[in-house]
Amino acid sequence: MSDLIFLSLVSRHSSHLVRQQYDVIVVGGGHAGTEAAAAAARVGAETLLVSQKIETIGALSCNPSLGGVGKGQLVKEVDALDGLCGRAGDWAGIHFSILNRRKGPAVWGPRAQLDRQRYREFIQSELLSTPRLTVLEGSVEELFVSEPNPEEPGHHRVTGIRLANGSHPISASSVVLTTGTFLSGSLFMGQSKSPGGRIGDAPSSAGLSHTLRERLGLRTGRLRTGTPPRIVKDSVDLSLANVHPPDSHPTPFSFLNTHTHCKPEEQLPCYLTYTTPGVERVVRESLHLNCHIQEDAKGPRYCPSIESRVLRFPGRRHQVWLEPEGVTSDILYPQGLSMTMPPDVQLRLIREIPAMHRAEIHTPGYGVQYDFVCPTQLSPALQVKSTQGLFLAGQINGTTGYEEAAAQGLWAGVNAARCALSRPTVALSRTESYIGVLIDDLVSRGVTEPYRMFTSRAEFRTSLRPDNADLRLTLKGFEEVGCVSIVRYQEAVRVRDSLQDALATLQALALSTQNWRKKLPDMRMSEVKNSLLTGMDVLRYNDVSFEMLASAFPECLSHHMEFSQRLKIEAVYRPHCNLQKKEIERIQKEENMSLPQDINYLTLPVSLSHEVREILDRVRPTTLGAATRLQGMTPAAIIHLFNYVRRICFTYGKIPLSIVKKHYKIK
Amino acid sequence: FFIYNPIRLLVSTCDGVQVGLADAETIFALSSGHGRCGVAVVRASGPASSTALRCMTRLTRNLPPPRKALLRSITDPQSKEVLDRGLVFWFPAPHSFTGEDSVEFHIHGGPAVITAVLHALGSVPGMRPAEAGEFTRRAFQAGKLGLTEVEGLGDLIHAETEAQRRQALRQMSGDLGRLYQDWSHKLKRCLAHVEAFIDFSEDELIEDGVLNQVDTWVCDLQAEIERHLQDERRGERLRTGVQVVIAGAANAGKSSLLNTLCQRPAAIVSPIAGTTRDIVETALDIGGFPVLLSDTAGLRESPDLVEREGVRRARERVDQADLTLVVVDCAHLPSDAEQAATFLEGHLRSVLSPQEQSLLVLNKTDLLPEEQRLELDWELRRVSGLPPVCHISCHTNEGLQDFLAVLHRSVKTLCGDPLSCAPTLTQARHRAHLQQCFAALAQYQRYRDIDLALAAEGVRLALTSLGRITGHVGAEEILDIIFKDFCIGK
Repeated sequence: MSDLIFLSLVSRHSSHLVRQQYDVIVVGGGHAGTEAAAAAARVGAETLLVSQKIETIGALSCNPSLGGVGKGQLVKEVDALDGLCGRAGDWAGIHFSILNRRKGPAVWGPRAQLDRQRYREFIQSELLSTPRLTVLEGSVEELFVSEPNPEEPGHHRVTGIRLANGSHPISASSVVLTTGTFLSGSLFMGQSKSPGGRIGDAPSSAGLSHTLRERLGLRTGRLRTGTPPRIVKDSVDLSLANVHPPDSHPTPFSFLNTHTHCKPEEQLPCYLTYTTPGVERVVRESLHLNCHIQEDAKGPRYCPSIESRVLRFPGRRHQVWLEPEGVTSDILYPQGLSMTMPPDVQLRLIREIPAMHRAEIHTPGYGVQYDFVCPTQLSPALQVKSTQGLFLAGQINGTTGYEEAAAQGLWAGVNAARCALSRPTVALSRTESYIGVLIDDLVSRGVTEPYRMFTSRAEFRTSLRPDNADLRLTLKGFEEVGCVSIVRYQEAVRVRDSLQDALATLQALALSTQNWRKKLPDMRMSEVKNSLLTGMDVLRYNDVSFEMLASAFPECLSHHMEFSQRLKIEAVYRPHCNLQKKEIERIQKEENMSLPQDINYLTLPVSLSHEVREILDRVRPTTLGAATRLQGMTPAAIIHLFNYVRRICFTYGKIPLSIVKKHYKIK
Repeated sequence: FFIYNPIRLLVSTCDGVQVGLADAETIFALSSGHGRCGVAVVRASGPASSTALRCMTRLTRNLPPPRKALLRSITDPQSKEVLDRGLVFWFPAPHSFTGEDSVEFHIHGGPAVITAVLHALGSVPGMRPAEAGEFTRRAFQAGKLGLTEVEGLGDLIHAETEAQRRQALRQMSGDLGRLYQDWSHKLKRCLAHVEAFIDFSEDELIEDGVLNQVDTWVCDLQAEIERHLQDERRGERLRTGVQVVIAGAANAGKSSLLNTLCQRPAAIVSPIAGTTRDIVETALDIGGFPVLLSDTAGLRESPDLVEREGVRRARERVDQADLTLVVVDCAHLPSDAEQAATFLEGHLRSVLSPQEQSLLVLNKTDLLPEEQRLELDWELRRVSGLPPVCHISCHTNEGLQDFLAVLHRSVKTLCGDPLSCAPTLTQARHRAHLQQCFAALAQYQRYRDIDLALAAEGVRLALTSLGRITGHVGAEEILDIIFKDFCIGK
């Protein structure tokens, strides 16, 4: 046991020793793993987090930033479910801005540059103070798998793990794997290739990959990603770059915070600069020295290396952001310069950019290729369908990005805990959250390149806004899921009630156009209508703010000033959201009809074409709703499937007899 | 291919929610076969059924007693024009085929009447044309079909959608298909560019100019769709057939003309005036265009009640016709050419309503001396405002080829030539989706400078509406365009 260092030794849980048995074991301490472990513990499971190196728990492996367009929504949602990353961002942020500020609140992208050290410290101290959570340093050598529980679908059941160096096995009902880029990971720099998932860390054992592929028969694919060289700050001539200041009033991510840890005036700027023709020349000249770029593994189209960018779009200048890495850090992160050429060529390349003409590289950039598990083999609870108790989250599912990983981690942790505590697993619908969109896209469509969240992926974007994530998820998170603390829940209830009260007051405020003009002389109310306009109608006007209404009607509205921005957004979006409601309800109903996971589609005694059987067999959709979204499904196949499911439900008595009687005319 | 979600209406069986309440849309369709039938049944189902019944039958106060036939004039709610007189039935929920509030209109079977009634129903708020098999699906959802019937439903819907798919495929391979695909492609680009601006502009080199481009595209597209929608329903005519009605005095040879044209004795012919009393319909192919040819009773005063009804129907049919063939017996014309021309002018006025498209068919031309015919022709050319004149003899087939050429030209004008001019609308359903598409583009313009998320929502809705004709468009496709068109890389 001497090689195992217990983080708990330095925590207030010093009396804890590693037990032989946990409800949930989480493997990996990145964004997915930390959220998974914390969520599992919040739900009530005795949880063990195993990480190769305790000091890298909560590390930002790539860019020092959180949030953005689409990603910011995920952070808000993780926070609404009481996850860590939103509060960690508020604590560690050193430059806050809301992207897309002029494009409508539904697509606002809250974003922050982070101090790497502060972020890691916050995450680690949160984990240490989480009850029921133990952290253990070690490398997982083997996943124990046994015969499945015959009452549940699946071919195997996970029973625990064994750590490297032959230590004793630790058993658990659920295991969450969040191995990131470490699953058969290879690092590339120039022409050299070495095993590993992140520079400076030992490669993970081959045992885990072997178990997943050979023992559990999971299909895997290979993806690649990369990270830029880190630049010595003092060696950069920042006067040759454009300064980008942060928002003067930083907006926190978390619904619990009213302000950020960093004071507005203490925020650091970012710098913007551009590539030159010289950069393109260096890339072309060094292609023969660059293994990574020549491999076929799929890289992300939206976070490409500088090599891919200049090869795909030659003759253009490309943006390079120079981002601070922390308050005391002497390093700059050049966003947009991910590269995998030999270190001497990297230096030549960055020096082609005027602001970096004398720059020094602190750590060179490199590429990573890694295995991912095709996520169509997962359920919407992120459980491997064939293996009871095994959950996957993060890059192992083919995604990219901290926020995507955190969102999956939280949801996998919640379900791993519920599964271990013999509670039914839960799913989030794509109609209620970006997390739902993310998971549904992964499990029902799969990935062909690293998956990143965009607002355009969410068809109900106008309903799934960053401002209302708490109303969408916190209440449900407490009442149905069990991952939200009572404090946060009570706050969400207070917010909901206040908003409802304010909206009702606005709706009840009905005046004629003339009277509105008198009350709000600044307002340009062009339409002359005889009918009455409510406060909600008027608040919808582009040039009317809630503050204006509150000063016109102080007696009934001024005490709602706390929510002025949310009320304005609600007023503008409500009619559009109401239009979407019907479609949302339809999808939710379809998603409530689950398909049994043990169906043998190839032999199902139902009239289905061979093509449809193969599609269903390959993807094994968990709900009828997911089945309708599969490519190649025919309307007739859906009807037959529906009919079959209904008969199954009937046989199992899952439908109340009254309904059966009503629909089948059974006397 | 087409957007269609069969379980949309099925799911409520599981939780026992009443169908009609769950789905606020009211659908309508012709439930009997197309054209050529004596009686057609148009059915509507959904919450707006009673409204439709009220405003189309002017039953302002009470609805008819449930499930009892009631004879009413059926009027267009907008123009107040009487479209037909027929039986209406009111089936309040749940005692109807679909389990929802339903109404049925039993009307005369001619396509013109049916089209008019469908058009009128479409103008009632909350009504939309039904998708194939939708009534059956609603019935299924309401638990109105037993388990064995349900077994066959998948196959039924499969067959129906197959037919619909084949039909759509046929259309999609033509000019119309290319036009819609082209629009769909343009809309996809519009959406991709707006989405790129939303999702990437903050950290990429995507400039505001991208949106100006979209503004132009949206404007152009709106103008194009508007022009397309104003085609006066030529395409629908092409699909359902041009209504050609043969009218004229008793014993002019109208039924003989019908039989000659369809090359079979479809109508009884006899030397006795007033042989044809009801409308005889037959479908023809005139130079590739579908024509529904109706023979009508000779227009004359008659003491016979049945014949009087026949004459009334004949006049009504003439009013609804796309083209009327006014048949005149040459032998009964005044022998003086000038008098004959005056007579024909008056005769046309008495048969046709003003502005109506027609051809003047002078039958029994074999009984007319050559010289008299030439004189008459010369005289008729001097009179302005007369329709094209054809001399034929149903007896000897003389002049038939010339007549067919003239008829072909007229029908072609009515349908619009699908090969030469802009593609035209072929389906009422397409029209509805295009109108939604048009309205959604207006939302883009309304929110363009206020809230880009809501503006994008407008383009999205427009694409969804068009997608109901051309096929589904997914988010991945939009992202593909974004990555193709822009230099994206964070």
